[in-house]
Amino acid sequence: MLTTLPHLRIRRPSPTTAEFTVTTLPPPTLALRILRIILIVFRLLLFLAICTVLSSRWLQSPFAAPLDTYPLWPRTWLSTDTLWYMAGCLHRSRLGVALGSCAARIPLPLLVPGAATLCYGIALRVHSSESLLVLRGLGVQTSESPRTYLASAATRFIPTEKIQDIFVNEAFRGFEVRYYLVVVVEGEEDVVVVFPGLLPRRHIVEKVWREARECLYEKAPRWGIDEKA
Amino acid sequence: MPRQTYNIAMVSDFFFPQPGGIESHIYQLSSKLIDRGHKVIIITHAYDDRKGVRYLTNGLKVYHVPFLVMYRQATFPTVFSFFPIFRNICIRERIEIVHGHASLSNLCHEAILHGRAMGLRTVFTDHSLFGFADAASILTNKLLKFTLSDVDHSICVSHTCKENTVLRASLDPLMVSVIPNAVVAENFRPRDYKESPNGSGVFGPNTSPNRLGPTDIITIVVISRLFYNKGTDLLTAVIPRILENHPYTRFIIAGSGPKAIDLEQMIETNVLQDHVEMLGPVRHEDVRDVMVRGHIYLHPSLTEAFGTVIVEAASCGLYVVCTQVGGIPEVLPSHMTTFAKPEEDDLVAATGKAITAMRSGRIRTEKFHDQVKKMYSWSNVAMRTERVYDGVTGKISEEEFYGFDTGGYTGSRIRNFALIDRLKRYYGCGIWAGKLFCLCIIVDFLFFLFLEWWQPRESIDICPDWPRKVPPEEKRHSSTSRGRDPS
Repeated sequence: MLTTLPHLRIRRPSPTTAEFTVTTLPPPTLALRILRIILIVFRLLLFLAICTVLSSRWLQSPFAAPLDTYPLWPRTWLSTDTLWYMAGCLHRSRLGVALGSCAARIPLPLLVPGAATLCYGIALRVHSSESLLVLRGLGVQTSESPRTYLASAATRFIPTEKIQDIFVNEAFRGFEVRYYLVVVVEGEEDVVVVFPGLLPRRHIVEKVWREARECLYEKAPRWGIDEKA
Repeated sequence: MPRQTYNIAMVSDFFFPQPGGIESHIYQLSSKLIDRGHKVIIITHAYDDRKGVRYLTNGLKVYHVPFLVMYRQATFPTVFSFFPIFRNICIRERIEIVHGHASLSNLCHEAILHGRAMGLRTVFTDHSLFGFADAASILTNKLLKFTLSDVDHSICVSHTCKENTVLRASLDPLMVSVIPNAVVAENFRPRDYKESPNGSGVFGPNTSPNRLGPTDIITIVVISRLFYNKGTDLLTAVIPRILENHPYTRFIIAGSGPKAIDLEQMIETNVLQDHVEMLGPVRHEDVRDVMVRGHIYLHPSLTEAFGTVIVEAASCGLYVVCTQVGGIPEVLPSHMTTFAKPEEDDLVAATGKAITAMRSGRIRTEKFHDQVKKMYSWSNVAMRTERVYDGVTGKISEEEFYGFDTGGYTGSRIRNFALIDRLKRYYGCGIWAGKLFCLCIIVDFLFFLFLEWWQPRESIDICPDWPRKVPPEEKRHSSTSRGRDPS
């Protein structure tokens, strides 16, 4: 429900520029917005719970300062004391005690990797989108959204004089044969695959191919696949 | 009524770049079928750097399935792992007929099995003869029986091959057709061949045969891989005796193999270096140039399903001396060949007879090329294969395709796809084997249902077809009958 099949969005800010974005983001509706807010809140709460479990486990170790040293009331609200005070409150609360006893039961070699995996899962993006920006006279730029919220988007710019060709090819991938759009770059052994993660369906790939060539070379492609078939 | 055209998948482990008879058979047949307006793709495994999807001349698409290679090296039959990718290819290419080649090809057997599970019509072509006695043959025969239990129709390259296949796989002989190989006659022209203007050569000037004098050299050509089953031992034994009886003869031997060392030893011991020339391995496109250097082609093979090479030799205008084994006697008319039993004395006598006949000028080898050209053409093979396709898809009625059966068999020969009927066919394969095969089929069917759920048909992209050719006889009828209606 939160994602859809990869679909294409075309943006043309100027007659010589076109951006093709393939994304799994569904069109925004009210229900979807609410769902996303709920998801964010849930993720935050889960993160907090993980932190509590880890810190209560730390409290149980002989190296940690005991809970009694935590301030009962912060002297000023705008200081680290506030954080310690809140952590102390959390640990003393019924939920904190429950989580603490829970953390005590899980062996450490299981707890730490488990917590790390969960944190990674929280940081994962729900949607992924990949785009191809075509600028006439300059070149093309591919970008793909990162998997997590922590990383930034990976982009690659290919200047026009380096582009040998753009075409659609098919290849084996896993247990199927897929169509994909490639840019052949001069002087490089490997081709650059556009939309490498999402690998959209044939009609999207063909549309992007046609329009990208049109935008890049100011004319319709010289050859084409039999449209009728 | 416009002729129906099909989407056909040829499946075999053996395809180019590896050279060989089966490989060129598949290629020639496919390109002629494309000429007739069908859509043909070839599925084979990857060869070294030849992987992925490739196009050959005429829009012939070749799928070099990559992931099988690691199993191929271990020659492990991947019974089910080929199914997902095969199903994907069949759906995206909208395949209607699966045509497997060669009984030693594991890919072909699997494709037939899965093709039937998917409800496609299947055809199998056998290219080779097998024994019944040794362990490897028994295993292969069991496997063959397994896949051919449910195949719609089989094709063999010669009548001997058909008999062999029918016995090995316990088939209904009516469900096996014989369609021979062919040669590309243009590639095998005699040395001084002139294309007669009317194409047939019948009305051309009747040239007198160039008679060879008693001291003119007659050259005998042998082109074969030098293996035991190709009769190299026989060749080693007969060469000194023939040269003793007929001193004005020379031998040219092309090909390589483990028996080459025996031939070389024979040449050394008998001091025949200036009578026997060994060329070593020759590429297929150079075979003609070797052949036209000789007058007689000697083929000492011990077993042969068809023997394309003797057709090529006759096409080059060589008189053929061959052993009477396997499918060889069916291949050429009697005025082009002398047969011998596969033994030393008889082969020496037959070669002697052939040399005498050549010297007396009784054999008109210059006419062989045109005769062979008329007998063997790939277009004809494609036409006959197409009739088999018509038969299995029900385009021509069962009575017309199979004829009236005098054997008293009243059941239908059209293989329906109901699982229970398929299981019945497999169950008859043997006491234990039958049950095992049924189990395999059930697992395969369940796997098919799983795949239908895992990768729904709608999620697979359909390939655009290469522009189809209009079959020549339909061009004048209408231009609308271009292939099938793309639905």
